[in-house]
Amino acid sequence: MSALAIIGRLERDPHTRIIDVDTDFTMQEVIEACLAPAVGYQTRHPKPGATLRVRLTTDGDDAQPFPQDMTVEQANLRHFQQIDIYVSED
Amino acid sequence: MTMLERSAWYDIARDTNWTPSYVTEDELFPPDQSDPYGIPKSEWETFDEPYKVSYREYVNVQREKDAGAYSVKAALARSTYYEDADPAYLSMLKLHYGAIALSEYAACQSDARMTRFSKAPGMRNMATFGMLDELRHGQIQLYFPHQLVSLDRQFDWAHQAHHSKNWAALVGRHALDDVMMTRDAVTTSVMLNFCFETGLTNVQMIGLSADAANMGDFTFSNLITSIQSDEARHAQIGTPVLEIMVRNGKKAEAQQAVDIAFWRIHRVFAILTGIPMDYWIPLDKRDRSFKEYMTEFIGVQFERQLLDLGLERPWYWDIFLEDVETHHHCQAAATWAWRNTLWWNPTGNVGPRERAWLEQKYPGWSDTFGQYWDVIVENVQSGHPEKTEAIGMPAMCNMCQIPISNKGGTVWKTRAYQLEHEGRLYSFCSTVCKWIFELEPDRYKTFNTIADRMYNGEISPNTPENILRYMGAGVISEGGRDAHDLEWAKAYDLSALSVAGQQ
Repeated sequence: MSALAIIGRLERDPHTRIIDVDTDFTMQEVIEACLAPAVGYQTRHPKPGATLRVRLTTDGDDAQPFPQDMTVEQANLRHFQQIDIYVSED
Repeated sequence: MTMLERSAWYDIARDTNWTPSYVTEDELFPPDQSDPYGIPKSEWETFDEPYKVSYREYVNVQREKDAGAYSVKAALARSTYYEDADPAYLSMLKLHYGAIALSEYAACQSDARMTRFSKAPGMRNMATFGMLDELRHGQIQLYFPHQLVSLDRQFDWAHQAHHSKNWAALVGRHALDDVMMTRDAVTTSVMLNFCFETGLTNVQMIGLSADAANMGDFTFSNLITSIQSDEARHAQIGTPVLEIMVRNGKKAEAQQAVDIAFWRIHRVFAILTGIPMDYWIPLDKRDRSFKEYMTEFIGVQFERQLLDLGLERPWYWDIFLEDVETHHHCQAAATWAWRNTLWWNPTGNVGPRERAWLEQKYPGWSDTFGQYWDVIVENVQSGHPEKTEAIGMPAMCNMCQIPISNKGGTVWKTRAYQLEHEGRLYSFCSTVCKWIFELEPDRYKTFNTIADRMYNGEISPNTPENILRYMGAGVISEGGRDAHDLEWAKAYDLSALSVAGQQ
């Protein structure tokens, strides 16, 4: 386990966020880490009750989401790599 | 003895040039300092500009300008104007002086480079006056806020900001180092005299002068009007430089210099000017919106100058127009949320009346930026003002050094544009900042944003307290707080906001 800073892009949030995570964090934990400084501070939850997922940021917003139990290390996320935290319609 | 009319001697004196015999031409005018474009000396000798001024005339006029500005200051100093002024207006002064005063000394060095290294004798002459102009601007904008330091320590940032590692100071220094301090005399002239001074200082100096006069602050209004009258003169250096470049087949190089500098300075000045105009000046004192000023000065005047010179609008013109309606709103929010990092006290000042004005000036504001402030207001009204202070950090742009933010809410456009260079990931606020980096990665790759410094060991430990100390907040002065102690947030009908926020 080691610390890593990634850049979170939470749906509806006007700010990108630097998120401190551990490499053994699951995607569910990454989501929680990204919501923590944002929701209720400067933005609302993008859709209360809905499932949020994590994917790499791409020009078309069309990357496949990571499995919720995949870890940061397994996803090969790098220092300051940007990820989307978005509402899953699945 | 009868003195000659100026017209009888001016052009001869101004155009004096010589052929070196003890050193080579390239030793006298090293290409990397003087002209990397290889334009013939004879072409530079055609340099001409409309302002003809002798040193005697210059000194007389400048002395009168200074006398005017200082006498207004002396008159206002006898009043209690600043003691009674709206604290948000004082924040505009603190931001301006911290960002601008020492930048004027930097500009003095830029003009000095043109004075020494330009191959155009007429340009050397004009740049000499420009150099003296900038010295005056540095001195007067350090002197005026100095009297206010005893009133409020944050005014000390006029002297301190550019020597600090505050993130907002990095924003200004990075841009100015790029366009003013580290280029050859020709490119500096295009970037500084044409893009910066012809294009964008108008908005700062004329726009804020009007707002300051409406606020009854004739000291500041006179001061920046006086400065702008100098800028309007020495800014003229850039136009003949561009004409010579275009005429000598260097249009592409000129265009690129324009495109880089215009964007870089716009990103800084939108914060410096747009936020005070659209948020801090009380509603009944606002002259025009930032967008209206930009439309007049940039969308009409500057664009016409570009086209008249045979240049094009920057390739990112549509992105720029979108940015005029977006960037300063994002940063009004971001700087306010991270206000403890600042040397001024921003105000949210988004009460119901202000919100209606913003929606009128920027249709769609309520559905994007308005939703941001809704959350803030809810926190204030539900007794959680501590939740209005941001925690954590936003990502910062590796070019402009500004927090990477964009429209939130239902039209969500926030994202960092990233690229990998030599194994390192760089983040940018826009495709334009990314484009500038890609043009010359070696020029920019080693500079670290404040966020980079938190993780590369330069700020260690990277605790919130230590980060603030590193940036001078709580050291040079107290960091920022809401200028109006959140009073503006108490005028809302909370139930209406909650309904709107769920839509």
